[in-house]
Amino acid sequence: MNAVLQNAVEPFDAPLQVRGLSHRYEGQSVLSQIDLTLQPGSVLGLIGRNGAGKSTLIRAMLGLLQPAEGDCQVFGEPSLGLSDRTKTRLAYVPQQPEALAWLTAQQMLDYVGRFYPQWQATFARDMLRKWDIAPNKLLGKLSPGERQRVDLIRALASQPELLVLDEPAAALDPVARRDLLREIALRAGEAGATVLFSTHIVSDLERAASDIAFLHDGKVLLHCGVDETKERFARLWLPASMSAAAPTQTLGSRRHADGSLSLVIERDAQGRWPQAAGLPGARVDALGLEDLFVEIAG
Amino acid sequence: MDASIFAIQPSAAEPIYRQIVEQLRRLIASGQLSPGELLPSVREVAGFHAVNPMTVSRAYGMAESEGLLERLRGKGMAVAPQARATSSPAQRLALLEPQLAEVARQAGELELAPELVLRRLRRLMGEP
Repeated sequence: MNAVLQNAVEPFDAPLQVRGLSHRYEGQSVLSQIDLTLQPGSVLGLIGRNGAGKSTLIRAMLGLLQPAEGDCQVFGEPSLGLSDRTKTRLAYVPQQPEALAWLTAQQMLDYVGRFYPQWQATFARDMLRKWDIAPNKLLGKLSPGERQRVDLIRALASQPELLVLDEPAAALDPVARRDLLREIALRAGEAGATVLFSTHIVSDLERAASDIAFLHDGKVLLHCGVDETKERFARLWLPASMSAAAPTQTLGSRRHADGSLSLVIERDAQGRWPQAAGLPGARVDALGLEDLFVEIAG
Repeated sequence: MDASIFAIQPSAAEPIYRQIVEQLRRLIASGQLSPGELLPSVREVAGFHAVNPMTVSRAYGMAESEGLLERLRGKGMAVAPQARATSSPAQRLALLEPQLAEVARQAGELELAPELVLRRLRRLMGEP
C-alpha cells in the first residue's frame, strides 16, 4: 500500500534513459533514433563493433555531448543540466581518462574521495596494490592502461548508484578483468547499483551482465536479458534446395558459396521456431552471444 | 560445499542459470550432494565465478520449485530431504535424454542400425 502511494507521488526515475537520440559527425549519421532505458539494479552490456558509436551513445547519455536530436536523462534529470547531487550518484570511466595528471594515483584518490560520503579508502588502497599501480607515480607518467585502472578504482570506491564504463576491459589483463567483473556483478546484485558497460569482448558480458544491447549501424538492434537472448534466438541452416522456404523477417541472414543459407531465427510467443526449422535437411544451432553477434553484425 | 562445485561456462549457448540447475540435478541424483547439505550462498557462487548474483538466485529459485532444494531460514539453501528419494531410475534417465536424442539423431544421419549403436553403448558402459 505504502509503495503504491509513493509511486503515485514520486514517479519512477530510471537511472539512465534516452528517447529518440540521433547524432551526426560532419553530416555522417552515427546514432539514429535510439531509445534505451536502464532498470535499477540491472547490468547492461552494450556491445558493438569498433566505431559502432558506443562511446558517442554513452557520452550523450551522460550529457558530455549535445546530441543532434533526442532526450537523455539521468535519474530523471536532463543529462545536459545535472545537479551536483545527481553527479555524486554516478561514476563514469572514459576510455582514456586525462584529468588530474599532475597528481599521483594516491593523491588523486585521496582528493576525489573527499567529495563522496561513502568513499571506500581501504578498497582503493587494496586495489592499487592488487592491480600493480605505484601509488606515488604521477598520473601523467602512467601508461594509458594503468591510467584507466586507477580511474576504475576511483569509480568503484565512490560506491556509485550508477556506474558507466566505456570499454573497461581494454586496459586489463584477464585476472584484473575477472576482478572487475566480480565487483560489477556483486555491486549490482547486492548494493542495487545500476551498471552500463560497453565492450567488444562478448565473454565479459556473458558473465556479469543481466541485459545486453547490440548497437549496430547506429541503431539498437536488440535489447533484452542475457538468458532470454540465448533461449529466444538460434541459427537456422538451410541447404540450397530448401533456401526458398526461408522466413523473410529475420535479424540477419547469410548465403554461403554453395547456395545454403544461415539465418537468425526467433521463437514466437508460444516458444516455437518458425516452420522452416522443421524442413528436411534443416538444422537449428543454439547460439552463444558471440555467435549471435557475428550473425547479426558480421 | 563451496562454490567450486559448479563448473560454469559463460560462453555456452545454454544460459548460466540452466547450467547451474542442470548440475544440481546431477549432483543430487548421483548422491554427490546429500539431503540436508548446505549449498554455497548466492554471494559465494557469484563472487567465485564473477557472475551476476541474480543469475544464481534464479537458478536456486528454479531448483527450489523443482523440489531439489529447500530454503532454511537463516541458513540459506540446502538439498531437500526428499530430493534423492524422488530420483527414480526413470528420472535419472531423463537427465540423459538430450544426449541420447543427439546420439539418436546423429546415428540416423550416419545410417547406423540401432543394434550396432546399442552394442557399442553396452560395451562403453562396461558390459561384455
